[in-house]
Amino acid sequence: MINSIIRYGLIFIILILLQVLLFNNIQFSGYINPYVYIMFILLLPFEIPAWLLLLLSFAIGGFIDFFSGSPGMHASATVLAAFVRPLILRVISPRDGYEPNSDLSMINYGFRWFFTYTILIVLVHHTALFYLEVFRFAEFFRTLLRVLLSSLFSVAFIVLIEYYRKGR
Amino acid sequence: MRSLLNFLARYNNLIIFLILEGFSIYFVVTRNSYQNTRILFMVRRLTYGIEEKINNTRNYLNLKEINNNLAAENVALKNSLERLVKEENSLFISVSDSVYKQQYVHTAAEVIDNSVNKQKNFFTINKGKLQGIMVNMAVNSGDGVAGVVVGCSDNFSVAMSLLNLDFKLSARIKSNGYFGSLSWDGKNYRQAVLSEIPQHVIVNIGDTIETTGFSAVFPEGILVGTVSDFEKMGGDFYKIRISLTTDFKKLHFVDVIGNMKKTEQLNLQNLVQ
Repeated sequence: MINSIIRYGLIFIILILLQVLLFNNIQFSGYINPYVYIMFILLLPFEIPAWLLLLLSFAIGGFIDFFSGSPGMHASATVLAAFVRPLILRVISPRDGYEPNSDLSMINYGFRWFFTYTILIVLVHHTALFYLEVFRFAEFFRTLLRVLLSSLFSVAFIVLIEYYRKGR
Repeated sequence: MRSLLNFLARYNNLIIFLILEGFSIYFVVTRNSYQNTRILFMVRRLTYGIEEKINNTRNYLNLKEINNNLAAENVALKNSLERLVKEENSLFISVSDSVYKQQYVHTAAEVIDNSVNKQKNFFTINKGKLQGIMVNMAVNSGDGVAGVVVGCSDNFSVAMSLLNLDFKLSARIKSNGYFGSLSWDGKNYRQAVLSEIPQHVIVNIGDTIETTGFSAVFPEGILVGTVSDFEKMGGDFYKIRISLTTDFKKLHFVDVIGNMKKTEQLNLQNLVQ
């Protein structure tokens, strides 16, 4: 228990630092910005109670908001992502179900499962985030394009980081 | 009572979700109320330290380019000073008080945090109230318009970038003086849109666009950009696409311009209207 608190605490801090110091400064062609910090929501254990999941995602979203000067936007998008996570997990559950006390990682459930899982959560998060940012539905499709392009990069980076974790 | 408790127990996750979403949306909405960047501002104060460190490192890599720009700007200033001194000497023999002539005060500042990839971009500069920066001052990069100050603390200020959907600027075509409203459409960080120019006006690609000075924020005649293409919209107006002269991705040294006669101008306008 204590072990996993320390572990997820570390992941929390590392992901915030990565996002703020590195990924917030990467700007491909003006509007693509990868948001890898939501990996934290992906990695939290399957058994975590829903209320804790919601609070933790509110916390990480809030921290990112602090550092990127956009109060509320990230927090609201991450809370939404956390809210739909149990549903997504149910929909894409592997044939044998989830093993108790196992990480939701690529090692345990394989590349294809992790990839779909990441894409779904990232899409939910980015859609909420980008539409909240423009705050209007005019030019709906351009925002949609931004969502898709940024999601592409976020997913790529998250899978890459997961690979690195796996290698370790 | 029991059924209420049952209800709460059953939907507790939904309720927590709604409460947290409510908080977040509340923050988003209060910030979006245009001038109200107080929260943004409070929050930013916490991260200045880190941002300044990052910025220092980044600057080091650009020193050469920065030096070149400064040298070029110095030469231009020296030339204009030379001209002014000559004119003064030939015209006036007695010493005249020229203080009342000055309308704008300039303060040099550095950008320590900036973004171009959001729809509502802001940047932070390293001068604040103690250095005489006030809300609604104009920010000018060496090349052209950069933004407007929207919040100040003692030593830092946050400015709304031209790359912000809420940013509006009164601008005109230099060659014929027709003015319109300039804003950013959120697409390309090198381009903005000038609207409200009537269709009988002759517009050419490459025409210079500059500020009008009507708003009492920006001085007259500051460069904004050049016309890159234009089309006839429905109605009687052109939609003119401007390529901006300021490259917001390498915005670094800026000039904050305060209008000393602004209150006078605005008071008079309010009085008459």
